[in-house]
Amino acid sequence: MMMTKHNYMSELERLLAKVPDKQRREWLFDYYSHFQQAEENGQSEHEAALELGDPRQIASELLLGYKVQRAEAEKSFGNTSKAVLATVSLGFFNIVFVLGPYVAAVGVLIALWATTLALGLAGVTTVLESTWSGMFTLTQAASIGLVCIGLGILLGVGVNALTKGFFAATIKYLKFNTKIIRGKKQ
Amino acid sequence: MNVQFKKGVLELCVLVLTSEGDRYGYELAVKISSKFEVAVGSVYPLLNRLTLEGYFSTYLKESNEGPPRKYYQLTEAGWQHMRGLIHEWSSFSTAVNEIIEEGIRP
Repeated sequence: MMMTKHNYMSELERLLAKVPDKQRREWLFDYYSHFQQAEENGQSEHEAALELGDPRQIASELLLGYKVQRAEAEKSFGNTSKAVLATVSLGFFNIVFVLGPYVAAVGVLIALWATTLALGLAGVTTVLESTWSGMFTLTQAASIGLVCIGLGILLGVGVNALTKGFFAATIKYLKFNTKIIRGKKQ
Repeated sequence: MNVQFKKGVLELCVLVLTSEGDRYGYELAVKISSKFEVAVGSVYPLLNRLTLEGYFSTYLKESNEGPPRKYYQLTEAGWQHMRGLIHEWSSFSTAVNEIIEEGIRP
């Protein structure tokens, strides 16, 4: 099939649909002006499209850099996961070696956060419970409650630091690897 | 040459090409792909990444023919990064050359 400039550009645009407008337009501009300049040098649209390479590969490469950058700027669970998935989908890593450990580590973090929350909740409910039924006196309940909440806060601070550190380390690892083994697929 | 290896040195080549003077995307893409067997389109994501990492700044300049061109200019961080890569590359290639020379000696 003959690939025209129009085909190529709309395919690329479709593949990059999820990216914010401004970024997408900036990327598309590069390819648009590439076609323009290829034409000035007497190349046909089809030749230029062939030379540029598969739009799917180009889109993956663009998206990878973008997602890693985003995750670096804001170390959130969503951003880090997107970067991990983009890396896996480009074929840089075996799913077992990157996605597996990542999911496992996220599982551990979620468990730690749940424990933190449970401790805080236990503290509050002990106090509330003592005002209704008489298992503990209010003073006893208050001290147990304070201990629980205190432990919860301490754990929370620790887990928070751990979570941030984990996301930062993941991104560092992704960047390191994508630089060394860029573009395994042709 | 092996594809993975080529893509690794692409970054170095792009930086060195712009150290001689600001270049526009098309120029770099064509130059790189004439020397290496790499899809021309893959050069742009690389330029993008290097810009995001602060090694390039870009500006638009009108051209006589067609639309304005996006020029890439090496930043101070880019210069430093390039020097580091050149250093890495030369110690690497010296090591390989030494092994080759020792290997093919009769």
